[in-house]
This record gives sequence, C-alpha cells and structure tokens, in this order.
Amino acid sequence: MLDLQQLGYRYPGSPAPALQDISLHIQPGECIGLLGSNGAGKTTLLSLIAGLIQPQQGSLRWQGHNAIGLVPQSLAFHARLRVSENLQLFADLYRLRGSERQHQLEQAIDAAQLESLLKRTAAQLSGGQQRRLNFALGLLQPAQLYLLDEATVGVDSANRQRMLQAVRSLADNGKAVIYTSHYLPEIEQLADRVLLLSEGRLLLDQRLQEQPAQQFSARWADTIPQALVQLCHDRHWSCSQQGNQLKLELSDPQQLQELLQLLASQPAPVQLDYGPASLEQLYLHSSGGQL
Amino acid sequence: MRLSALVLTEWRLAWRDAHAIGVLFVMPALFLLIMAFAMSGILRTDLPPPALQVEVPQDSADSRFFLAALAGQLSGSSLQNARTPDVRIVLAADFSERLLDSPHTGPELAFAAASDSLQRTHIRTAVTLALAQTRMAAFLIDSELLDDSLPLEQQLQQVQQQTESRLPEYQILSSGSLAASANAGQLSVPAWLIFGMFFIVLPMSSRLQQEFQSGVLLRMRVMRIPPVLLLAGKLLPYALINLLQFVCLLALGLFALPWLGLPALELHGTPAAYLLLALSITLASCSFGLLVSALARNSEQALLLSAGSNLILAAIGGIMVPKSMMPPAMQQLASLSPMSWSLDAFLTLLVGQGNSTDILPGCLALLLFAAACALTGTLLLHHRLKNTLWTTHN
Repeated sequence: MLDLQQLGYRYPGSPAPALQDISLHIQPGECIGLLGSNGAGKTTLLSLIAGLIQPQQGSLRWQGHNAIGLVPQSLAFHARLRVSENLQLFADLYRLRGSERQHQLEQAIDAAQLESLLKRTAAQLSGGQQRRLNFALGLLQPAQLYLLDEATVGVDSANRQRMLQAVRSLADNGKAVIYTSHYLPEIEQLADRVLLLSEGRLLLDQRLQEQPAQQFSARWADTIPQALVQLCHDRHWSCSQQGNQLKLELSDPQQLQELLQLLASQPAPVQLDYGPASLEQLYLHSSGGQL
Repeated sequence: MRLSALVLTEWRLAWRDAHAIGVLFVMPALFLLIMAFAMSGILRTDLPPPALQVEVPQDSADSRFFLAALAGQLSGSSLQNARTPDVRIVLAADFSERLLDSPHTGPELAFAAASDSLQRTHIRTAVTLALAQTRMAAFLIDSELLDDSLPLEQQLQQVQQQTESRLPEYQILSSGSLAASANAGQLSVPAWLIFGMFFIVLPMSSRLQQEFQSGVLLRMRVMRIPPVLLLAGKLLPYALINLLQFVCLLALGLFALPWLGLPALELHGTPAAYLLLALSITLASCSFGLLVSALARNSEQALLLSAGSNLILAAIGGIMVPKSMMPPAMQQLASLSPMSWSLDAFLTLLVGQGNSTDILPGCLALLLFAAACALTGTLLLHHRLKNTLWTTHN
C-alpha cells in the first residue's frame, strides 16, 4: 500500500539529517507502533508520509488512494464549536454524504464515547474528553492509512481501552495504522509491528509475533553458580548479572535445553522466570538503553 | 460544500467571540455617539447669542443707530448689561464726532478669556457691519439722502436695504476637502464606522493565529484542502460582518443622533453609491486583515499589529481629529491612510452630495490597496501554510 525506499530528509540549516536511509513497506491491515526517543525522527517520518514535506532522498510510493486519517498530538478542532458542530464540519470537509456520512459519524462518536457530549462546546470538555474528540475527528475520515500521534494522552483507562479497540478494529478491517506513543504497554497491546527510530535511522523493524527473544531470569539465595556463568561465557550468550540474579536472552529452544541440563546439577535457584521479553526490554535492548 | 462549511464555521466562531463583537459593533457605536456629541460643541453651526455689555459714555443719535444696527446683527442677544459678558463694547466719548473720520477707529472690544475664536469672529463681524451701517447712515444724512427726522427703525431699514445684497451661494459638489464643512454627525458617523470596519483585522488575525497554533490547519493540510479555499472561507464571513457593520452604524447615525439633540444624518446620493463604497471599504479592510494575519507569528503579535496599525491609520487618516483641523503637513500625511480615502469618499456623498462617479477615485484607491494587501497576504500565508509541520505541543 505504501512503499518507502531509502528515504532521507534534512531540515534546512540542520547539520545532521532528520531521517536517513529509511526503507519500509506498509501493508493494509497492519498496525504499526512507531517508537523513538525525542528527536529520533518520528515527526519527520509522519510528516513525509502525510505529505507535509517532500523527501529529499529516496522515494515514497502509494498504491491506490492516499487518503490519510490524522489524529495529531495537538488538539485539532475549534474550541468554540460544539462537539457535534466540529464533527459535522469535518464530515463536510471530508466530503462525506448520505449513508457513508451517517456510518462514519456513528462509528467515530461510538469509538470516542462522545454521545453524551455532542451538545457541549469543545472548550467546555475536560482534557481527556478533548483528546477523545480529537481522536473521533481523525477516525471520521474514510482512509487507507491512519496516523495517530500520542492519541490517548490524558484519557482515562476505560476510555483509552475503548479507543485502542477502535484503532485495532481499523486494522482488522484492512486499514493500515501508524501509532506513536511513549506508553509502551499500549503499543504492545495494539501493534503487530514495531518500528524503532534512533537518530534518524530505522533501528528495528520487527513483527511482535516474530519476536524471537525469550527472557530467562534466575535468582539464588547465595551466589550465582560459577558453572552457569562459565556456560554463558563459553557460548557467548547475552547475559547480565545483578547481585545474585542472572538474566539471559534466549533465541533458540536448544539454549534453554542446555541451560536446564546444567541447572539440574547446580544449587536450586530461589526464583525462576521464563517467558517472552516485554516490548520495553526489546526497546531498551535495541536502543542501547535509551527510552 | 467545503466552502460553505468553512464559511458557516467562521461565521459561528466570530459571533461566539464576545470580544470580537465588542470591538466590531459596540466600540465603534459608542465612539460614534460620544464623539458626535463631543464634536457638536466644536463644529456647531448655530452659535448661541453672545452676552454683551455695551458702554455708551455719550448718548447720541449715532450711538443709538449703532446699537439698533448691532441688535439687528446679533439677533437674540440682549444689549442690556450682562453680568458675565462674552464681550464688553465701549464706544468712545467722541463716537459721533469721529464717525466719518478716515482712517476710522471703532469701539473697543474687550473679550472674556473664555470666549472662543469662533464666537469672537462672530461678534467682530457683527460690530464691523453695525459700524459700517452707522457710518453709511451718517454719510447719507450729511448728503441729505436720508431724512434724519424719520424714526430710527425706518432709517435703519433704509440703510439695511442699501447695504445688504443677496449672495447667490452654490457648492461645488464633491470637490476638495469636505471635512471643514461637515457637521459633527457627518464627520463622526463615517469616521467611526470606517474605524470599526477596519478593526475586523483584529478578530481575523487572532483567529488565524489560533488555528496555526492548534492542529486545525495541520489537519486541513493533510486533507489537502487548497489554501485558496481556506482563505476564502475566512474572508467571506468577515466581509459579511463588515457589510453588516456598515448598515448598523449608518442606521445609528440616522436614527440615534437626534436622541442626543444632534441633527440626524441625511443620506445624499444613490444606494448604488453607498453599496460601492461599502464594498470598497470591506475589501480594503478584509485584505488588510489577511496581510496582518500573514505577518503576525502568534496571537500576541496579531493583537499588537492589528490594533497598533489601525490606531495609526486612524490617527493620521482624520478619524480622530478632522483633517480640516490638521496643519498642511499632516493633511498630506493623511493621504497615505486608506481610512482617509474612505472618509473622503463618504464625505463626498454626505456633504458634497456626490454620486458614484464622484467617489470612484477613492473607491479605486481602496480597491488597489485591497488588491496589494490580498496578493501579498495570500502569498505569505500560502508559504506559511505550506510550511505547517507536524505539531507536537498543545
């Protein structure tokens, strides 16, 4: 649907490129979590995709319609208009008519839980309610790709879940979604693919279902058995020691089998954990510890 | 569909902004009424009769004739000794003996400090005319062309018939500066109406800055709404508000001025002439608003630029002080202000009783100003819209 090839962009007067050598293919139905610290290039990438700026290097090709539904981080509505008036205005600007208009309006109002707020002016809404209106206005547009930038900041837990479900259902209905957030559990819950940008480069492009690393953690009452440390060293496994706790990232079931065989002949740990690495662990690992 | 939605939105937003309504309707209406009332004291055409104190040390037929002639010139004034006179007129003891001297020295005039220049001129003229009639009467009696046995009133009547002549007076319509001949209402109504219309710059530029600072314009850019459509959606509602201001403030001049004891505004000229003028001022003020919106970078700058530029254009344009009261250098400076062009065109209709053709030069100047502002403003705003980036802060 959208193909980015070796995309690069440098702001005038800036010594370093904001983005360099970004290659991506975004498919319908994908929900992509876009991560990166401040200044990593997320905004530049979104601006390029939204057509606000043109790439200076590489290419950006759309297949089919390039209509974009946008939920920017800043509140993009008229504060002195009622909620319903804002929705009607953007429905007009999106050129929605007839049953499609009715359907999109109902869907957006329902996703953002705005039924009881329609008659209130936007300025009278709380911060979280204003975020929901901002979200609804982005969802209102029939689009192939939705860009959501920190869409749920300040929204209470119940409404946030409702909004995330709505985003998820967009992807389930074949729409592509790029979702940025500094709240990693939200990305973890929502995204099926994660992009990590750092200093303008794409550091990680990974499907969360394909996430290979498993986290193994064991803690002993006294000290970590030396044989275990030696095994990690000999096999060049990625491990870390914190006091009497050992943490390993295992990418192969064979590694676990070998580890468990050795553990059987050593003092038993007082605590043992094994499972998929969290997105936060993946993020920290890929970005070199910068969040 | 998109344009009508944008126009309707801007219209709603403008009417829900109490400050904007205050600036556009309440402020100019108050200025109009207050200044019309205040200026009626300066620009009065019917002076109150002055209070006189006349001293006649030596009564004579000539002094009595002079007093009768003076009473004829200052109708309504009592020649009895006023307690606080505007002027004291002292006839010399040898008034009759020296009446036909040449050169001649007339009675002394001692003006009260509080009497203004207009009133002094009025009294000076009356005394000069009364004195000329008295000298004429003395000359006619000496020449036996006037019978001194006639009653005083008849003598005065005969002299008046011989000294007075009818002056056919015409006005060369719609030419020159008409501010000097306008009354308070004819000056204040158009002046503050124009001032109020140009204040459309303030809500226009403030609203646009708010949209830049919020994500509204970003959303619209992503939707690929053409900038020209966006600007048209902003200009049209404000142009309608401008036209409404024109009608309301003119109606105030027509119907409210008599409540203040001032003459009601009389509209000369055809409705087409007023429509042409209203459209010209509207285009000029809205285009100027577009330019200020493009130049300001935030709401604070928009406020300062719009209010500041409007006050300066009003001050030099003869809105606050009539151009007729300005020195020549200032009058030349006034010709730089579009408010001055608007006011001149308005006075051409109200005072000069001109028509559409007469106000055409002023309207053309306004339209040229509008075109220049609109072109520059559109280019600057287009450039700014193109550079609207993703906003990450509220």
